[in-house]
Amino acid sequence: MPFSITPQAKGKAQADETRSSMTSMTALAPVGEDPAEHIQREIAEIVSIYSRLYPTQRLHFILYEGNDPVWSAPSVIEGPFTFQPQHVNAQFLGQFERPGAHPGAASVTITLSIPRKPLPGEVKQMDAPWAPIRRLRAVHRLAPLVYEKIRYQAEMLRKRRSVKRHPRVSLLRGDGSSLLPPPRPPETGKRPAILIGMHWLEVGGAEKLGFDTIRWAQQAGLRVFVAAGVPSIQRLAGKLPDSPDVTFLRLDRYLPHHLWPRYVEQLALAENIRLIHIHHCRPLYESLPQIRANLPWVEVIDSTHIVEYADGGFPRSSGVWSNFIDIHHVISKELVDYYREHFHVIGKVRLGRMLDRSGHPKGLPELNMQPGKKRLQVAFVGRLYYQKRPVVVAEAFRALAAWARRNDVELTGKIVGEGPFLDTVRDLLRRYGLADRVALLPADAPVPEILRQSDILLLPSNNEGLALVCYEAVEQGCIPISTDVGSQAEIVPQDLLVPLEPQACVKGIVAAVDRLWRDAAFLSRQREALVRAWTGLTADPTAEEILMPVYQKAASGQQE
Amino acid sequence: MSALSKTAAVIVTFNRSAKLMKVLDALDGQTRRPDVILVVDNASTDDTQALVEARARDDLSIRYLRLPKNVGGAGGFHAGLKAAYGLGAHYFWVSDDDAYPQPDAIERLVHAITAFEARHEWRPSFACSRVEWIDGTLCEMNTPRPVWDWPRFLHPEAAWALVDSASFVSILIPRWAVEKHGLPIADYFIWFDDAEYTRRLSRSYPGIFCPESRVIHDTPDNRGVNFGLVDEKSLWKFKYGARNEASWRRREAGLMGVLAYAYGVHLQMKGGNVPWRMRREIFRAIARGMTFRPKVVPV
Repeated sequence: MPFSITPQAKGKAQADETRSSMTSMTALAPVGEDPAEHIQREIAEIVSIYSRLYPTQRLHFILYEGNDPVWSAPSVIEGPFTFQPQHVNAQFLGQFERPGAHPGAASVTITLSIPRKPLPGEVKQMDAPWAPIRRLRAVHRLAPLVYEKIRYQAEMLRKRRSVKRHPRVSLLRGDGSSLLPPPRPPETGKRPAILIGMHWLEVGGAEKLGFDTIRWAQQAGLRVFVAAGVPSIQRLAGKLPDSPDVTFLRLDRYLPHHLWPRYVEQLALAENIRLIHIHHCRPLYESLPQIRANLPWVEVIDSTHIVEYADGGFPRSSGVWSNFIDIHHVISKELVDYYREHFHVIGKVRLGRMLDRSGHPKGLPELNMQPGKKRLQVAFVGRLYYQKRPVVVAEAFRALAAWARRNDVELTGKIVGEGPFLDTVRDLLRRYGLADRVALLPADAPVPEILRQSDILLLPSNNEGLALVCYEAVEQGCIPISTDVGSQAEIVPQDLLVPLEPQACVKGIVAAVDRLWRDAAFLSRQREALVRAWTGLTADPTAEEILMPVYQKAASGQQE
Repeated sequence: MSALSKTAAVIVTFNRSAKLMKVLDALDGQTRRPDVILVVDNASTDDTQALVEARARDDLSIRYLRLPKNVGGAGGFHAGLKAAYGLGAHYFWVSDDDAYPQPDAIERLVHAITAFEARHEWRPSFACSRVEWIDGTLCEMNTPRPVWDWPRFLHPEAAWALVDSASFVSILIPRWAVEKHGLPIADYFIWFDDAEYTRRLSRSYPGIFCPESRVIHDTPDNRGVNFGLVDEKSLWKFKYGARNEASWRRREAGLMGVLAYAYGVHLQMKGGNVPWRMRREIFRAIARGMTFRPKVVPV
C-alpha cells in the first residue's frame, strides 16, 4: 500500500485534529466501511499537503466523489469563497475545516474530488489497447508496414519542426548583487534530506534510475522525499524502501502544478532539504525559480535520458532550465554533445552510465550465434509501446521467418513485454503463421536467461537513450541489432545498426542476420566491435559513482 | 550606475587553438576574471573543440558555442553577444582569439566605465583598450576613432578620450547598450562589423578609450585598414570591407555618402598603386554595398 509509508499520513495528531474539526461528513455515512477508510486516508494525505503549503491559514476543504482513479482535480481559492449551485452538485461529499493559527487567519478554500480506487483492469494496464487511427485503419490492415512508414514520416516532420517550435535557449538567471545578501538556510536540528522528483512511479528506464537514486541517497544518509509529476496509479510505489526515511508525497494527485514551487519551498525549509534531484519531473523544473530565489543553498541535479523528436523531451527542458541547475547527469555521450551544442555547457554535465559495476562479468562470453547454425532464436525485450515499434518487430519476425525458410534454418522467437500493442502483435503473429514459433512472454519473464538462449536481440525502436537491454544482451552472448537512434551507436557496432525507416529497418535486420549467419569473419569482427564498445562503456563512470559523492556531501551538510 | 556587474567574455575563434589557449590563460590571470567565458567557435577544423572541452570540464565559467558553419567574425560576435546576453551578463568583454589582455585589462575597463559614469553622469556606450602589436607599438588596425570633442573629460589622472568607433579587440560593452541598439550585423561576415556596431552604440553616447587597459594583438603583421595595401592575398577581405562600409554609408548618409567613400577608396588605391584589376573588384564591391541592406537584429 503506497500510502502507508507516508509520515504525513502517519501524522496522527494532525489527522485527529482535522477529523475533530470536520463540520459535515454526513455524506460519508452511506458509503460503507471500506470506502470510508479509503476516503479518510485520502483526506489525511490532502490535509498534510495543504497544511504544509498553508501552515497558518484557515483551510476550508470541499470534497467531491471523483470518477478518476488518479487525479483529484484540485482547485485552490485564496480568500473568501462563495458557494454556487455547481459546488453542491451530485458528487458533493461534504466539507470540513482545518483551523488557522489564529482567529483572524486568512481563509483558503480547496476543492478536490477524492479519486476512486482503480479497477483491477486499470491496475494491470492503464492504456487502452492500441488501434490505428480511423482513417488509416484499412492501410494498417492491408499493409502494417506502410502504416508504420506514414507514422515514421509524421515523426520526422515533427522532428524537423521541433527546433523552431521548441527553442533551445536557456532561461536567464540573475545572480543578484552583494548589496542584498541572499537568504541563508535556517538553523535546523533535522538530518539533511533530498527531494527526488520522478516523472511517475511506473516501469521505465528513467524510473529505474530514479529508484536507484532513492536507494543511494538513503545509503548516503539522507532522508528521502519522493514526488511524482504525473498523476498515475504509481504502480511501483510499493517498491519504495519501507523505511521511515523515505516519504512518498502524493503531490501528483492533490496539488496543482502552479502550487508546487511554494510547496517545495515550505518542504525544504521544514525538512532541511539540501539537495533536489529531478528525474523527468516537469513541475519540479518549474519550481526552480522559487528554489533559486529563496533557497539558494539547495543544490539541484537532474538526470536525462532521451532526446524526443517532437519537442526535445526532458533534455531540452533541462537545458532550458540549465542556469538554475548545478549538475546535469546524463547517461550517454549523445547527451553530453546535446548540452554542449544547444546550451553551450560542458563543465556541469556529468556522464554516468546506468550500469552496476558490481554486476558485470569480467569479460564477455562467446557469442551464442555460430555461422551456419541450424536453429536460431531471436528475442525482443521491451514495453509494447510505439517507442519500441512492436509492429516493426512483428514484421521483422515475418521477414526473418521467410529468410529462415529459404536457408533451411529453424527460427524461434521470444517477445518479452506488455503494453497497448500486445493485442496487435499477437494478431500479426497469428496472421503471419508465427504464433507457434514466436512466444509472447510477460514483462517479468527471466530476461537474462532468455537472452542467454537467444542468438539475436532485435531493437527496432523509434527512439532510445541507450537501451539497457543491449548491455544485458551483450553480456549474455546475444547480438543486438538496433535502429541507429539516440546513443545506440555507443553499444551496437556500425554494421549492426539499421535505418529508422520501417521498411529499410526490416530489410536491414534480415541483411544483418544473413551476413552474421553466413560470414564467419564478419561475425568475428562484430564480436570484437561489441567487446570494444562494451569495454569502453564499462570504463566510463557509473551513475552511482557520479551521484553518490554529491549525495554524501549533502548528507554531511556541506554545500558546493 | 548599476550595482550589478556580471561580466561575460565573448571570444570568437576559428582554427587558432594555440592562440586561443593563450587568450584563455590570459583571462585566467585577470585581476578581475570574467564570470562567464563564452568561446564562440566558427566551426574550427583543428583541435579547438577538444582543447576547449578539456578546459571547460574543470572550469564551470567556460561556455562553448560551436556554430554549425563558419559565419565569419561578424556572425560569431553576433551569436556570441546574443548568447552572453541570454546568460544575464551586465558587461560584455568582446575580443579576438589572438588578443592577449594584460592582467588588469578587464578590471581597468570596468573601472573606467563605472568611474566615468559616477563622475560625469553620462553613460559611455563602450570602453575600449589600447591595442598593441607584439612589439609594443600601437596596433594599426585597432585604432579607435575619436569624436570631435574627444578631450572633453580627459584629465591626466583619467585619460579617457571619447571615441565613436573601435574594434572588437578588448572592448567592454554594457548590457543597456546591447538592449538598446541590438546586436552586431551578422551578414557583414567580416570587416566593418565592429566599426558599424560601435558607431551604432555611440548614438546614445560615445565610448571611451582607456589607454591604461592594454591588450597585445598577436597578428602576423601590423597593417592598418588602407585600400592602398590591397594585394592578391587580402583582396577578399577588402572586398567585404568595401561592401560593408558602402552599405553603412548608404544607410547613414545616402548616395552622396557612398560617392564620397568611393572617392576616398579610389585615392587610397591610387596612392598605393593597386593594380586596376583589383581596383575594379573593390569598386564592384562598393556597388554591391549600395543594395546590400542587412537588418539590425534586436536582442
